[in-house]
Parts: sequence; C-alpha cells; structure tokens
Amino acid sequence: MSPSQQPSSPNPTHLKIRFARRFLRALNNLNITKTSPDDDDDGENRVYRRSRRVKIAAYTAMASVVGSRRAWSRAVLWKVRNRSRNRSLLSVRPRRKRVDCKITNNDHDHAKVFVRRRNPNPKRDPFRDSGQVLKLRKLVPGAETMDSWCLMDETADYIKCLAAQVEVMKTLVDLYTTT
Amino acid sequence: MSSRRTRTCKNRDDELDGLVSKLQALLPASSSSCNKTRVPASKILQETCNYIKSLRTEGDNLGERLSQLLDSMENTGVDVNILRDLLQQ
Repeated sequence: MSPSQQPSSPNPTHLKIRFARRFLRALNNLNITKTSPDDDDDGENRVYRRSRRVKIAAYTAMASVVGSRRAWSRAVLWKVRNRSRNRSLLSVRPRRKRVDCKITNNDHDHAKVFVRRRNPNPKRDPFRDSGQVLKLRKLVPGAETMDSWCLMDETADYIKCLAAQVEVMKTLVDLYTTT
Repeated sequence: MSSRRTRTCKNRDDELDGLVSKLQALLPASSSSCNKTRVPASKILQETCNYIKSLRTEGDNLGERLSQLLDSMENTGVDVNILRDLLQQ
C-alpha cells in the first residue's frame, strides 16, 4: 500500500476555516459559562482555569475537525472526553454541555476504524526503538504503539494541523488586540 | 521467493524514505535550505521533535493571550466571515 492511497490531506486554508469555526463556537460557549457563579475560587485560579479551558478548546476543535480519520485526533478526543467525564463525576451541579461534546457520537466509530499496519514484522522496522523516535512517540498523541511508517504519516499530519491551529490563533489574537 | 521478498523490503525502505522526506519538507528550516545534501533521518526526527514542541508552546501562549482577550471578544462579537477573509489572504 503506497502513501498515495491514504485519504488526501485537506487543503490548509479549508482546514483553518473549519477549525476557526469550531474554535470560535467553543470560545463563545466559554464566554457564556464563565458568568455562572459556581466558581468560588479566587481571581488567579479563575484566570488559570479559563486559560486551560481555552487551550483544551483549541486542541479539541482541531481534533474534531480531523475526526476519527487519524490516530492522533482519536487519542486527543478520547483524552478530553475522559477528562470531562471524570470531572463531571466530581462536580455537584450538572453543567451545561458544550458544543464540542457532540463529538462523543463519533467516538463510537473509532473502534471500527482499522489502523493499517504496513509492517507486521517489527524486526524489519528500522526506527522502532531509536532514541529520537521514542521522543517523537511521546509528543504525538496516540503514537506509542505504531510502526514507523504510520508514525511518520501521523507526525506529518499532526504537524500540519498544529501549524494551522497556531496560525488561526495568531490571527485571532491580532484581530482582537487591534480592535 | 527470496527475490520477491527483497523487492518488498526495498519498497518498504523507499516508502519510509519518502515519508521521512515528506516530513522534512514540512519543517520550517528545510524550506530555505538546499535539498541536494541528504540529511540523515535522525537529524530530521530531532528537528521534528523540536518543531512540535515549539508549536505546542506557541499554541499554549496564544491560548493564554486569547483567554485574556475573551472579554473583549464577547463585546465586539465574533464574525466568522471576517476571519475567513483574513485566513484566505
């Protein structure tokens, strides 16, 4: 199977626009929920929590745009969903569901998506355990058990999406700093 | 057949080389440098790790700034059309 048979990578501008839409929706939801009085902690803690929520919203938005096509996006969405599930077990009040929680419907499909292993024989895998590869596996979500071919592929996609995400966020910051 | 197996292994190695060079093309430093000299894969992987780390740090910093700007975003209202025009430039 050659790499050309993989699903074609999205047009970068298209990707940025889709990410921007979801991210803005999540931010608007954040704005709505921040006015709720359930946070009785002090100002600094509130600021920290809000910035964490913005970061999670950004990663979730990008992962949900990519959907379940990629192992890294599935891993991100799974992590976020588990984190919010654990937090809802701890919180007393039922919280309003954010728009980006609707991705839970797609997660049922992720078990059915077949992660194609191009090299069933690990001995033939030249990169399997070299030092840099281990570092890379820690950086790319969901990449711990992949063979090297899939790892390279996922890394390339992950970099493209991260770069697009950073550009959109930069544009947003510029837009709202000047107005 | 051993010859067929050798061909398959060679194809896989070529495929890996292709993937690694695709990765190299995505890195910022390589776009300016001349690609005639073959960069070793370990160097490419190292630069990839550094690039991912820097992208994530940048994303986190931007996220913090955005969370501070969240109040002004609420006031001015967010228009996706403006953003789309900006992104398409």
